[in-house]
Amino acid sequence: MGEAVTEEVLRVENLHVSVEGTPILKGVNLIINRGEIHAVMGRNGAGKSTLANVVMGHPAYEITEGRVFFKGSPLEELEVFERARAGMFLSFQYPASIPGVQVGNFLKKSVASVRDEPPKGRAFRKELNAAMEKLSMDKSFLSRYVNDGFSGGEKKRLEILQMLLLEPHLALLDETDSGLDIDALRIVAQGINEVAVNSGCLIITHYQRLLDLVKPDFVHAMIDGVIIKTGGPELALRLEDQGYDWLDVAA
Amino acid sequence: MIYQKMAIPPRSEHLWRYTPWPRIHPSSPDEVPDVVDLVFSVDGGHTLEAIEELENSHDDIARAFLHSAGGSKNRLLISQDSDIIQVHVRATGNIAVGHLHLDVKASCAVLIHLSGEAEWVGIHVTGNVQPNTQIAYGFINELDTNTKFLRCEDWLVERDGELEHATLSIGGSRCKSDLRSTLNGTGSSIRQSVTANAVGSRHDDEHVEIHHLHGHTFSDLVMNSACSGSSHFIATGLLTIAEGANKTDASQVFRNLLLSKKARAEAIPELEVLADDVSAAHGAASAPVDPNQMHYLMSRGLSPDESQALIVGGFLLNAFSNLTNKYLTEEMQTRLTVHLECELKG
Repeated sequence: MGEAVTEEVLRVENLHVSVEGTPILKGVNLIINRGEIHAVMGRNGAGKSTLANVVMGHPAYEITEGRVFFKGSPLEELEVFERARAGMFLSFQYPASIPGVQVGNFLKKSVASVRDEPPKGRAFRKELNAAMEKLSMDKSFLSRYVNDGFSGGEKKRLEILQMLLLEPHLALLDETDSGLDIDALRIVAQGINEVAVNSGCLIITHYQRLLDLVKPDFVHAMIDGVIIKTGGPELALRLEDQGYDWLDVAA
Repeated sequence: MIYQKMAIPPRSEHLWRYTPWPRIHPSSPDEVPDVVDLVFSVDGGHTLEAIEELENSHDDIARAFLHSAGGSKNRLLISQDSDIIQVHVRATGNIAVGHLHLDVKASCAVLIHLSGEAEWVGIHVTGNVQPNTQIAYGFINELDTNTKFLRCEDWLVERDGELEHATLSIGGSRCKSDLRSTLNGTGSSIRQSVTANAVGSRHDDEHVEIHHLHGHTFSDLVMNSACSGSSHFIATGLLTIAEGANKTDASQVFRNLLLSKKARAEAIPELEVLADDVSAAHGAASAPVDPNQMHYLMSRGLSPDESQALIVGGFLLNAFSNLTNKYLTEEMQTRLTVHLECELKG
């Protein structure tokens, strides 16, 4: 039996990040390999979303120390769209609405940007229909404007639909479970599990209920901009049960 | 009134603040120059009827000027329900002027395409929407980029009549539009949208007046413009609700997207409400592209240029979202999409 080769997707080294001069991340270290699901949990303001946003290259965040590598290459010089084209995906906590831009048109442009071969009309429609069916999305979605007037659950489904179509190597999911009812959560979890087979996943969440459906390999507890404890799925259960106070001493 | 006897309106007047009459007149304001006819043609089974004379009761200088200048005069009678009637208007020569009257006695959609290379173009469109009829009307200005353009419109919408009015302004170097509609009967309504793409040094001044003379009338005006280069877009509106026109529901929203530091935009809605029991709302906003929208699209692999083009296109298309006639909406959206794609490809 040969030993499985680990393929590093994301490496975060001693990452310090500030927003308008205020330090948010204070030395984060994290390695995600292909096929692994990592969950980051923490109180509001702990820096979880900042970690996802800074990895994706949001211009509002300033890296003051440390480095981030994607598949072994440093990310500093890459613009947001170049990171997306390289295979990174962020499911937004609050996706922007783009009035006047139809979902179908947007998806086609997005997929064409990320893939080497732009999708052909009929083949793309077939692929799109299959992905929408998995997420129980009605075709009328395609003619609506991107996130414009969408409910919270509809926005999250559209995020997952994009993830399925873009087939990223790294999926960052920022509170994708918030605002979802139990049926929608199950559908969204199914989408995440499908993508997670071939990519690295970083799930930011407050709740165990998503982790019942998407089994994490690692759970990280973040306190005040630092990952203070890492464990397996049992850590999420303990955090859900006992909160974060018991970690404050260690922090 | 006779044009030559009229005084040039001062810039203190709302209508002439940003494009004074001497700046849009084809030569010197005291002249009525020789003009050539705008050439009108209609697709399908409808015919235009040439008319000899037009009523001249205009106290507005632009309308009086167009009347004095002459040009072609046509009437389009719509007496049977029609899906869409395409009217092509061609402007050639130095100064081209034309008049079109739409007599709407049956429900229809009418789309006017104005194109040509004349140095100066003036058009006056009038329309009567008879009781309980619906018209979806679109006007596409595709004039040459060097053309000066004056457009006046006057619509009268009778009881239970419905007017959907869409403008796509993408042509001409200096444009002045003065579009007026009067809701002249209970239950009448107008949904109006203006979309303008101001590029280069284009100057586009769009003035829209909607007058509610009776109660239980409805109006909804949306004006969206995208301004790049050193362009200047002006949106002024005047919404009046007459005394006793209760249960009127009226709104105006003006939005401008500023795409460069040198681009300018004005958005000035005005309300005059003399009735007590009405709903009247107005809003105006001018802003650059939302960085959150840019970030979202770029995070999906679109370059900054592609992202901006998609946002601008969507913003402009969105002005037509208050229309309900599918023929009109599709025609306007298709023409705008083609225009933006051509612009993107240079």
